[in-house]
Amino acid sequence: MAYQLYRNTTLGNSLQESLDELIQSQQITPQLALQVLLQFDKAINAALAQRVRNRVNFRGALNTYRFCDNVWTFVLNDVEFREVTELIKVEKVKIVACDGKNTGSNTTE
Amino acid sequence: MPCPSGERIIAGKELMISARGRKGDRKPQLYRSVIEDVIEGVRNLFAEEGIEEQVLKDLKQLWETKVLQSKATEDFFRNSIQSPLFTLQLPHNLHQTLQSSTASLVIPAGRTLPSFTTAELGTSNSSANFTFPGYSIHVPAGVTLQTASGHLYKVNVPIMVTQTSGRAGILQHPIQQVFQQLGQPSVVQTSVPQLNPCSLQATTEKSQRVETVLQQPTILPSGPVDRKHLENATSDTLVSLGNEHKIMPEVLLSHQESSHYVSLPSVVFSPQVSQTNSNVESVLSGSASMTQNLHGGSLSMSRHGALHQHMTDTQPHILKNRMYGRDSVKQPRNIQEPSNILVSKKDSNCQVDLSIQVTDDDINEIIQVDGTGDTSSSEEIGNARDVDENELLGIIDTEDLKVLEEEADSISNEDSAANSSDNEDSQDIVEEDPLNSGDDVSEQDVPDLFDTDNIIVCQYDKIHRSKNKWKFYLKDGVMCFGGRDYVFAKAIGDAEW
Repeated sequence: MAYQLYRNTTLGNSLQESLDELIQSQQITPQLALQVLLQFDKAINAALAQRVRNRVNFRGALNTYRFCDNVWTFVLNDVEFREVTELIKVEKVKIVACDGKNTGSNTTE
Repeated sequence: MPCPSGERIIAGKELMISARGRKGDRKPQLYRSVIEDVIEGVRNLFAEEGIEEQVLKDLKQLWETKVLQSKATEDFFRNSIQSPLFTLQLPHNLHQTLQSSTASLVIPAGRTLPSFTTAELGTSNSSANFTFPGYSIHVPAGVTLQTASGHLYKVNVPIMVTQTSGRAGILQHPIQQVFQQLGQPSVVQTSVPQLNPCSLQATTEKSQRVETVLQQPTILPSGPVDRKHLENATSDTLVSLGNEHKIMPEVLLSHQESSHYVSLPSVVFSPQVSQTNSNVESVLSGSASMTQNLHGGSLSMSRHGALHQHMTDTQPHILKNRMYGRDSVKQPRNIQEPSNILVSKKDSNCQVDLSIQVTDDDINEIIQVDGTGDTSSSEEIGNARDVDENELLGIIDTEDLKVLEEEADSISNEDSAANSSDNEDSQDIVEEDPLNSGDDVSEQDVPDLFDTDNIIVCQYDKIHRSKNKWKFYLKDGVMCFGGRDYVFAKAIGDAEW
């Protein structure tokens, strides 16, 4: 089972909304929607692991940190993200990170 | 600049400007591959459940639509390899004439045409092609098409568009392509374009799928014909679009509110539309978000002049497809949003008012210290005794002040004494909460603190801390900054706490 972490992304949220619409119109069952989401988890995890190859560096100020259930949650302020091609500055960013060492066991959202 | 005959306009690939560079090119591919993987992965699931293939297609359409709408990745579909190319070949003897008359609606029964606006075609070159993925287009003679600049062109000969590739699936891609035609339509456009779904039905698509497609293009139809098609359509969105259309004609006839041109990315542009490229580019860059288009009335106004000049001076011979689908989608949203804002504001105001009232009461109560003239209940006198008994001093509370003052001034009542025991417990609780309320400094900060638009979802390889210096080693992440998405395989960061 892959992390359900990525459901709270543009891609994941749009999928969930679409599934909700289909459930509302009773075209699919909630159980099927759940299966679709599980499939999405697998696909996105695999895609990120295999298809993405770029690196990002960032620097900022740490506002808060939280470690619970092996999930780190940070809130950083005034962060600069540097990639080879571009620089992105944000005033506040939240980072939710699941344990990357063992990706097969956790199903946190 | 005349379009050479036989010129093919590829679906936006060459024209779309990537604002992101390499990353932007890869990301849509990544997302598309994920969508494809998921859809393929659940295809069996859907089959096992006995659900129609159409539902799966609907899901895919909805999903893609939402992704494109949220990110406004103009190059999203550009990398799609599935969007079919569609060639529209106009007869050679096509003549365009500018007409200021209102649009005429010519729609063959059962066949709907995707919305599009035709750019001015040069008289010298009467054939022009445009690609329109997933659509079969039939423009009968007599249809008046409206260009982005507002010029009307009457088609004197039938235009037949044949679909060159089989896959009519990804309708949203071209639709989603951001293209805002600037210029003010002086006339209501033909309603032909709008009812895409019907045409799709005629070909290979089903009505449900078309629903999602419909949501995007909103053509400014003139009433009756559209409604007829709406009736033919089965989707609810058509109805909603119909409602939209009711509003549209008024706007259009009033000339010009280009603000309704919130466009969705249009389908196709001729590579040779060099003249309009500048407009397209500027439009594309300017319409990074859909809402910009809606509010881009002024923008459209400014562009109109330029485009108009274009059209009149240079006469680009191009066909432009334009989907106004967003209007239907956005308008309700916009309508809803303000109401939400209003509601929220109302709530906040109400809350503020209540708080003000409370303080007013307290102030009044403080002022009314007079024991005989006070309006306080006996219960409060009892509370005063509790204060004394518990010696909860140090609480600078208006209520307590009043209680103390009353206790000092008033003469005790036996009734209040009897009630004091009952009130004691509740009073203790009330008094203790204020005591501890100041202990948590950042109580309210936490919920707000974690509520942000910018979020990164990833996995961590290692999190290191040394004193107050933190180092982050992250991987496989998706970042969303203000709606824009980024991905990374690895991220290394430093922060000081």
